[in-house]
Amino acid sequence: MFEPKRLHPISAVINFVKGLKDAILPILAVIFLNGGFRSGSIEWIPLMVTAGFLLLLLIGGIVRWLRFTYRMEEGELRIEYGLFFRKKRYIPIERIQSLDYSEGIFHRPFQLVKVSVETAGSSGDQKAEAELTAITREEADQLEALIYEHKGGTGVQIEEGEEATEFTPAEPKRTKVFEMKMKEIVLMAVTSGGAGVVLSGVVVFFSQFMDVLPIGRIYGQVVDWIQVGVLIIAFSVLIILVIAYGISILLTILRYANFQVNIMEDDLILTRGWLEKKQTTIPLNRIQGIRIDENLIRQPIGYASVTIISAGGSALKGDEHQLRVLPLIKKSQIGNVLHHILSDYEMAESLVRPPRRSMIRYMIRQSWLFWLAVIPISYFFYPFGLLSLIVALLATGLGWLCYKDAGFNITDKQLTLQTRTFIKQTYLMKKHRIQAASLMQTVLQQRVQLGGVRVSLKSGVGGAVATCMYLNQEDAERVLVWYK
Amino acid sequence: MLNEPARRISERALTLWRVYGIIQFLVVLLINIGLLAAVYFWNWPMWLTAIGAAVLVGEVVLSIWLIPKLRWSRWRYEVTEKDIDLQYGIFFITRTLVPMVRVQHVDTEQGPLLRKYRLSTISISTAATVHKIPALDEYEAEELRQSISALARVAEEDV
Repeated sequence: MFEPKRLHPISAVINFVKGLKDAILPILAVIFLNGGFRSGSIEWIPLMVTAGFLLLLLIGGIVRWLRFTYRMEEGELRIEYGLFFRKKRYIPIERIQSLDYSEGIFHRPFQLVKVSVETAGSSGDQKAEAELTAITREEADQLEALIYEHKGGTGVQIEEGEEATEFTPAEPKRTKVFEMKMKEIVLMAVTSGGAGVVLSGVVVFFSQFMDVLPIGRIYGQVVDWIQVGVLIIAFSVLIILVIAYGISILLTILRYANFQVNIMEDDLILTRGWLEKKQTTIPLNRIQGIRIDENLIRQPIGYASVTIISAGGSALKGDEHQLRVLPLIKKSQIGNVLHHILSDYEMAESLVRPPRRSMIRYMIRQSWLFWLAVIPISYFFYPFGLLSLIVALLATGLGWLCYKDAGFNITDKQLTLQTRTFIKQTYLMKKHRIQAASLMQTVLQQRVQLGGVRVSLKSGVGGAVATCMYLNQEDAERVLVWYK
Repeated sequence: MLNEPARRISERALTLWRVYGIIQFLVVLLINIGLLAAVYFWNWPMWLTAIGAAVLVGEVVLSIWLIPKLRWSRWRYEVTEKDIDLQYGIFFITRTLVPMVRVQHVDTEQGPLLRKYRLSTISISTAATVHKIPALDEYEAEELRQSISALARVAEEDV
């Protein structure tokens, strides 16, 4: 694989579509704002500009494809690209942690994959990840085999390109350790926080929409209309909520269909997706810790999701989806499944809890802002403002839950920290993976012998922090002594 | 149980922080003068100057006198072969442990004011966090940096 290779031509189309996606708003703005559809006469200049712009995008996509080459040479993956500036990126094979595949709708008909090259993103490193937009399956396999062979250190020096391409890898055995059934995926979609995300999107949309409207002019009419149509508005809000929820469910199902976790050699391989297939590889030795999430809907019915904290490449960009190894699982099953994946992590049987005198602190911490807001709101919007009391009470209740769920457990090599801000999170961490540990106290807490614990792990290019507050001071100190 | 870390930072840090406090005070003073002028020339409400004066007094008490004192007396550190132990914070007290094997690199830095007082700030980076010890004596900081980087063995590739 010495001679430079091009990507599959379809990547020109993909480039074009990607560019189009980025530019869709300005284009729409040009067409609708200047196009003068309302006056009936179409102005030609904006349309011409748009057409020219599209043409430019298309040419850009094609040229970008023409310019992009990759090859394997002298133990490096060498990529050269660039529309105006020629750029070269050479990645030593030893630095390559894994290859991730994904297949979008453009890839499917031609048996192509998009390959993301993950590198060890240790701090201070310059950006070194790379992406091959579209190559054939065989090429991807070949690439993987080459990397695998190089890393395996079999000592086979490849001397000619020909030989290299003929090399067929002995594909290591994959063992399936986890898969999700459709029923579980649907349950997961229904109970996910994704609805919240779509909803906030809708809210943002509407707030933007409101800004654009000439509020002052139509305000009077709107007020009249509101009084007539409160019911209508409430109803349409409800409809929007339901639709948003539906969309989020559908998206989750598409994203997580055929979810599977396999173990191959020292790598964890996650495959998922229906329209767009994705394959993520997580080297086991990059795993820094495990986080178990239970949101307020899932906790009562005994379900949780498990996410891996990995020091993996910068290309992960904090995309949680890629590292969610067990998206939905019965909590009682986690220990069992985890045992197959990461046998050295174990679920804690019992936790050291914060003392009773911390309860009030948790409750105040979660709710003081709301209580503070209740006073002016109730005063100015009497009597409906009194409803804000309910919110404050709910926040206080959440504080109580936080108190109930906090705790930690220490074994010889593992620290388990459980905490809740909104979602209940349990961190499983190995001593030798923890980067730093702190004991935190305010002056007031010192007086009553309370203290919090904070530990940092490496995650992606940054860090992940787990905290547990208002523990007995001696318990908190025990964690630090254990860490020492 | 846990004993406090043994060493304190340089006493000149106190002077330095007071100088910072004075600089802040001067800035507030300038704003106050501006405020007075505004009240005088454009009839801004009088109570603004009252607030300004209160902030000014607070600045003297807190930034120049109290905060540097509390901050200095809390700051302690200890570096052993195995780990780095820090304690700091005025109201929120933090006690941090960083194992030597986790340390990736150590930097010292020195601004113009720090240089004037022959002080230096040392920052210790792990793969995920950065920890600073402010205002150490510059020779001490230099020594510390060398001993830490000697003790921090070659970082394991798997962080």
